[in-house]
Amino acid sequence: MIYLSQMLGISVVDTAGEKLGTVSDLAISAGEVFPRITSMAFRGPGKTPFMISWRKYVADFDDARINLNVSAADVRFSYLQSDEILVARDLMNKQIVDTQGLKIVRVNDIKLSVSHNQLRLLGAEVGSRGLLRALSPHLENVAVAVGKFFKHPLEERIIAWNYMDLLDRDLSEVKLSVTHRRLHELHPADIADILEQLDPQQRASMFEHLDNSQAAEAISELEDEYQADVLDDLTEGRASQVLAQMDPDDAADIIGDLPYHKAEQLLRLMGVEEEKAIRALLGYQEHTAGGIMTSEFLAVDEGTTVDEVIEQMRALDEDHEPVHYVYTTTPGDTPDAPPHLTGVVSMRRLVLARDDDRLGNLAFHDLLTANPDDDQEDTAETISKYDLLALPVVDEDGGLLGIVTVDDAFDVLEEEHDEDLALAGASRDDDEDNTWMVFFKWFMRREIWFAVWVAVIVFSALTGNLTTWLGAILFMPLVLLVADDVATYAINDLIDDDEAQGSLLRLLARDASVGAVVGLIAVSVCAAAMGILDNANALGDSDPYVVSAIVNSIVPTALTILLTLVAGVLLADFARRRKDKGHVVSNAGMATVTMLCAVVLQILVSSAATAVVGLGA
Amino acid sequence: MPRGDIKRQTPTQDVPSADRTPERTRKPRARFLVVLAALGPGLLAALAGNDAGGISTYSMDGARFGTAILWIIPVMTVFLIVVQESAGRIAAVTGKGFSALIRETFGVKPTTFAMGALLIANTVVMFSEFAGIAAGMEIFGISRYVSVPLAALLVFLLVLGGSYKRVEKILLAVSCIFISYVAAGIMAGPDWSLVLHDTFIPQIPSNSTFIYMVISTIGTTIAPWMIFSASNNVVDKGVTVKELGLQRIDSVTGAVVADLIAWFIILTTATVLFPNGITIESASDAAYALVPIAGQYSGVLFAAGLVSASALAACMLPLTTSYAVCEAFGWERGIGHTWGEASEFKTLYTAIVVVAAVVVLIPNMNLLFIMLVSQFINGVLLPVLLVFLILIINNKHVMGRYVNGRIYNILSWATVAIVIALTVALLVTMFIGR
Repeated sequence: MIYLSQMLGISVVDTAGEKLGTVSDLAISAGEVFPRITSMAFRGPGKTPFMISWRKYVADFDDARINLNVSAADVRFSYLQSDEILVARDLMNKQIVDTQGLKIVRVNDIKLSVSHNQLRLLGAEVGSRGLLRALSPHLENVAVAVGKFFKHPLEERIIAWNYMDLLDRDLSEVKLSVTHRRLHELHPADIADILEQLDPQQRASMFEHLDNSQAAEAISELEDEYQADVLDDLTEGRASQVLAQMDPDDAADIIGDLPYHKAEQLLRLMGVEEEKAIRALLGYQEHTAGGIMTSEFLAVDEGTTVDEVIEQMRALDEDHEPVHYVYTTTPGDTPDAPPHLTGVVSMRRLVLARDDDRLGNLAFHDLLTANPDDDQEDTAETISKYDLLALPVVDEDGGLLGIVTVDDAFDVLEEEHDEDLALAGASRDDDEDNTWMVFFKWFMRREIWFAVWVAVIVFSALTGNLTTWLGAILFMPLVLLVADDVATYAINDLIDDDEAQGSLLRLLARDASVGAVVGLIAVSVCAAAMGILDNANALGDSDPYVVSAIVNSIVPTALTILLTLVAGVLLADFARRRKDKGHVVSNAGMATVTMLCAVVLQILVSSAATAVVGLGA
Repeated sequence: MPRGDIKRQTPTQDVPSADRTPERTRKPRARFLVVLAALGPGLLAALAGNDAGGISTYSMDGARFGTAILWIIPVMTVFLIVVQESAGRIAAVTGKGFSALIRETFGVKPTTFAMGALLIANTVVMFSEFAGIAAGMEIFGISRYVSVPLAALLVFLLVLGGSYKRVEKILLAVSCIFISYVAAGIMAGPDWSLVLHDTFIPQIPSNSTFIYMVISTIGTTIAPWMIFSASNNVVDKGVTVKELGLQRIDSVTGAVVADLIAWFIILTTATVLFPNGITIESASDAAYALVPIAGQYSGVLFAAGLVSASALAACMLPLTTSYAVCEAFGWERGIGHTWGEASEFKTLYTAIVVVAAVVVLIPNMNLLFIMLVSQFINGVLLPVLLVFLILIINNKHVMGRYVNGRIYNILSWATVAIVIALTVALLVTMFIGR
């Protein structure tokens, strides 16, 4: 998928490699459910605007350029049609009504879905990620990483095209909201692409508009991670109907991912035959040939005639797996055992044979087979290597259990490819591997207190309070580390119910001593600096300013530590209540808040102490 | 929720619907009522413009230069009318606020710049409102450490609690105390022929701070936030193109009334303080100008006016700011929404109020330096916003046939040119040092 903001400004290049201009806008025709991009506007030399048909002229495109399939001389320009909308001009930055959430939102970006060289408008991005992206893609990455760190992932907020309504007066004649009836005009694979990019609520409501067989096909086309989610959203009756419509291997895959009781419930709601087929497949391990095979295949006894086979094929269900091969068998050793596989007849041979030929005579007997426990990747590679349309799976005795079809093999190869890539370190989530981000995260996880300390010093210097707050600031590392400990301890003990690592006291003792050391180093550096300054000024007796600041800060600091402990416990309690309400509580966020509390407390306490001492004196 | 409701999610949803479709009967009396009904938002925005910063600037103008500075008032009125009328017109024609139009016409980056600058500048203007409240209350002998947090809490509760509309009227009524400057000005017995002469014949005294004072006077009168406030009020009221005539009357009266009060403030301080050589150092100095009508109570009178004018602006300013920012970025907005629905709006509002109150109270804070920064940001922002305004109002795709006429355009660009020239002059003096 891709965003309009990424498309605008890229080059338009013809077959000869000559640059015609840069993309300035894309046009859609408004009537479709997820409208295709129909034309493209671009700016040629001298800012002359041009418009050409997307379908006719665009060969392919990537991040940097759009390649046309003709040379510049052969391009015919077109005009904006009355039912077309210019996406950048009429939608970007405009207000739309989210007809589902009944809210007014502003379009920050437009999300497009790519299938082959076709682009469809998926919906409007109205969340802050679109805004940040418009400012700078780097800003978006940083914000996403920070969000992840604080366990508040920055989600995209997409409003699907069919749920939006334009507010603008000029465009009110253009009807945007279209009924869902047009949805069935899309290919199930396209529907699946779109479904994957919607949020669960929108997805569920789109399913209401698909019939069972469309839903079944669309779900089969979904990526594995979405299948169980989608099924979970459907009512049980509907879910089992949809599953029954699917190829048994796909259905078994999905059911295998569901929790046990839910799976049983769905299976019981199904017809006997479908249930049996799926249960048979469920027995096999995931990621093996048995796990991806289907039990829908055509196998006949060796003695069967061509005529009879064709008759059997006519009787097959409409949604039966396509038959590319007919397998010939002899009966198994026992009545319960599967029949022995003896050979295979290709469709071509079957069609060319005479009606009364026996299958056993036509069959090719030198067979490639797979074992149900074979790795799915090996199986898929066999299919790919020998250019097969299907590979039979047999048990140790040669009994035919099922077949692995070429489409499932492709899925496996694609999946394994992605996994290999991920193993090789080329993660799709590229901000995870950014060394700068890793450093930032490490630093933030370990040393938030330092950042807070520096921030306080900068703030007090800017407001001219550095000398007033000097004592408090020098002892701040101690207080901050204590605050961090309290937060960590609280998170571990109160919230995660984990076994705490050692008692709070030991933790405090360790980090308080670290804080005290850092504070003392800061004090000595400060004192040394003052001493040098004093000597430079050649004043006789050195000003005991730093010393008095330290002495005056010891009692307030002790008081602050006590108060910080109390505040930490209160915050932890608050955090636990938030967690009980279902909010995510982030360790880092909790620590930061506790530290800020500690900073405010220390400054308040030491100011109060100074005031009291001042009054006393 | 029907679509009509969605569209009018604004701070004041309780505007009587009669305002929207005035019956145009030919009876003169009815017409007069229609015109009266039209007066309102513009007047309010303009009066709120005479806030703590405005009053202290005008007072200083008169005290330092006497009547010689009066001529800037008519000039400023023309500028103010041009800007306010333009802001009102774009809002009436498009049904959108100024910030929405900036976003839709210029895209995310310029909008972010404008909104960021507006946010910072207005937060700093809020400092001066709280400083005004603190100064006023100190005349009553109340410490700023009590009055400012209390005022912040009140502003927060009043506006977010939804009773702002009622309170707004009270504050407006109390800040009408400044109308007492009209009486004070007349009772002070100025030399009317000199006043008339100085009002209409420009003169530039050979005083190096004169230009600086002229610039800051214009800066407090035509503040960036007032452009947003003016257009938001029009959208808020649901004024459409048909009522554009009435809208213009509102803009013009608002500008004239506000400047008339400013004129009287200058006149009063010019007559009472200038001949005695009193320059204004504190709020109580400024209050001395009211002695001719209030005698010993002049301090109380001035303090009450200053506090309520500042409080009114302190309510409106964060409201306008967070409304404009949310409108630009498409966040739910309006005080009618719960915290969950409009979290960005309420967070922004709260943040502005809290930050302003806290900063004013930080010991050793150099408020004067912050005010200078604020003037700098406002100075950079104002010409940019005015250029945005003129570009939008001349965009046929946005305004249709309601684009500026040629004469109006000349006037608008002249306004921009003069404001830019003065701003550049201000910035130069700021950096080179006065």
